[in-house]
Amino acid sequence: MFVPWTSKYKPKTLAEVVGNQEAKDKILKWVHEWDRKPPKKRALFIYGSPGIGKTVVAEVLANDLGMELVQSNASNYRTAEAVQKFAGTASHYSTLFGKKRLILFDELDGITGTADRGGLRVITDIVKTTGSPIILTANNAYDPRFSTLRDHCQLVEFKKLARTDVEALLKKICSQEGVEADADALRLVAERASGDLRSAVNDLQALAQGKKQLAYDDVSWLSTRDRKEAIFKVLSDIFYARNVWDARRAVDTADIDPDMLLEWIYENVPHQVKDPKELAATMEMLASADMYRGRIRATQNWTLMRYFIDFMTAGVAVSWNHRTSGWVPFRFPTRIMTMSHSRAQREVMTAIGLKIGKRCHMSSNQAAKDVIPYIRIIFQTNEAMKNGLARWFDFDEDMVNYLSTNK
Amino acid sequence: MWTEKYRPHSLTDIVDQKEIVNRLISFVKAQNVPHCIFAGPPGTGKTTAALCLAHDLYGPRFRDYVMELNASDERGINVVRETVKTFARTKSIGEVSFKVLILDEADNMTGDAQQALRRTMERYTETARFILIANYSGKIIEPIQSRCAPFRFTYLPREHAVNWIKRITDNEGLTIKDDGLEAVLEIGGGDLRRVTNILQTAASIGKPIDEETVYSVVGRANPADVQEMLLTALSGDFVEARKKLRDMLLKYGLAGTDIIGQIHSETFRLSIPDKWKVKLADVIGEADFRLLQGSNEEIQLSALLAKLVEAGAEIKRGQ
Repeated sequence: MFVPWTSKYKPKTLAEVVGNQEAKDKILKWVHEWDRKPPKKRALFIYGSPGIGKTVVAEVLANDLGMELVQSNASNYRTAEAVQKFAGTASHYSTLFGKKRLILFDELDGITGTADRGGLRVITDIVKTTGSPIILTANNAYDPRFSTLRDHCQLVEFKKLARTDVEALLKKICSQEGVEADADALRLVAERASGDLRSAVNDLQALAQGKKQLAYDDVSWLSTRDRKEAIFKVLSDIFYARNVWDARRAVDTADIDPDMLLEWIYENVPHQVKDPKELAATMEMLASADMYRGRIRATQNWTLMRYFIDFMTAGVAVSWNHRTSGWVPFRFPTRIMTMSHSRAQREVMTAIGLKIGKRCHMSSNQAAKDVIPYIRIIFQTNEAMKNGLARWFDFDEDMVNYLSTNK
Repeated sequence: MWTEKYRPHSLTDIVDQKEIVNRLISFVKAQNVPHCIFAGPPGTGKTTAALCLAHDLYGPRFRDYVMELNASDERGINVVRETVKTFARTKSIGEVSFKVLILDEADNMTGDAQQALRRTMERYTETARFILIANYSGKIIEPIQSRCAPFRFTYLPREHAVNWIKRITDNEGLTIKDDGLEAVLEIGGGDLRRVTNILQTAASIGKPIDEETVYSVVGRANPADVQEMLLTALSGDFVEARKKLRDMLLKYGLAGTDIIGQIHSETFRLSIPDKWKVKLADVIGEADFRLLQGSNEEIQLSALLAKLVEAGAEIKRGQ
């Protein structure tokens, strides 16, 4: 079963939460004020960028102090009425067995539009009078919408995590998962996350799960600016789009390099589309997209880009029936990893090909196809011939090894 | 490498392609060579003929007057603009008033590079003559073709191939059994390079060469089996077939156009209804064309595999 490492390695206690020591101290102090009587500011407003532990802090706090966590996040409606229903009573009565409550309004930035009209006003009202501690989280506490609410809250800033902190956690996860990871590789993953621990852990899982080793080459392709969650969303928007407009628009919603997106779609087509006829049709769409990409490259005419996009989005969406037997997770483009894995191999091969080409009057490509297979057999069966040929072709040690060992 | 050891040095050593060789010999006598295109299947002596011509024109130090370029490795327009041009415009210092540029695998040059080449050929005819070598002269643009004398090489007839094999085995002190000889001929066809490589590899095993040795050598030399990939796709396992394709491209470094050539010939040997063979030929042709236009090899070829998956499913349903 697929267990996200972000859940598996989620901290259980406040002490396990990485970084932001100052903020954690502040929170602990505030929550203990409640032991005597409600403090002047009855709500704590934790703000900061995504993936740095704001929500987790509320969860572990409840856990540490044996409180019941009552939470509402962006997936809930937060109209005045809904908020009142959710938190109005909870804030004034303890649980049936006298257990204290901690109320969490998560992702306040998500309160928008008419559907959530009045929600913030009611939250402010509840904060003023609540009998249970309330924690609010948002990316930006200084959004004008929060100005009244802010006055009644104690603000706590969560800072982005230091790269070294992220790296240390990644290292710990790797050792628990039995993955031997290069320091370079982890540094790159950590660096790329730029303080967002959650995305770093997600990236790590995608790259390392089920592997024994993680080398720099395995992660180097990450240095493209694509964000994984964003990609999963785009993929789902494309594969399951209801119409061609939605499918096309999916590309605009995320900042993804189109070439990279094609790799993602290409990897995932056979895992999503099972019917042979639909599979052929979908792959044909990708091939058409790729054809336009080739034309763009050949002509440098970037207006052709729209057709490239059309085929890989709308084309894919309309080529199959969206029937699935359950949720099929999206996969990482293995081709890119295979390419970087076999790059060293291919480099030796090309170098051998060039040497052969020089002596045998042919291209490295042709040598790879017509000569190397035979030389390989000779190198693995006849020592004398091997030495003679190695000298004659002027192969270096790497090349001789490559020809002597590889299948 | 025996292909080099036994490569003829002079036009007079070439036993085959008599008509072509005679014309080339007359060029040497006249000390004048037009621009040429040598076209024909692999292993039929195109490169050899070009090198022999150069040797006979300039003598043993012919390297000083000849430039050999492989268009597959140096195919861009910049190579034509820089390397080729620099070579072509400097005057020859020897008795022969021009130099020779051998452009191997010229059919792999980009269109732009060919256009640039056409100008260069025209402009520097005084100082340089071009020999373009290609499998298909059709891939060379018309304007270049019209400036060149065409030479069409063909597969060697059987008895010449037999003589060639006998010459090598005698010289190397090898024993080759009749069934071994037949096997080499069967697999190598009229492609002498292939024949020679098979022979040398079989010899490396150190036993008298018989049918079994030959087939085991050839089997081992082709681990990336196109037929197996096609059967995997037909059986419905697209993901596995795609993996096999990826191995061929990335691990064994095969070129997409070569794989597609094999797919084409294998498809006609598959035990599927003829109707499908023709349908698939259309898909293969389209993919082939797109590869020439610079599309991505793996994506185009795996779209082809997906088509095979569809074919397999429909055939199973008896359509």
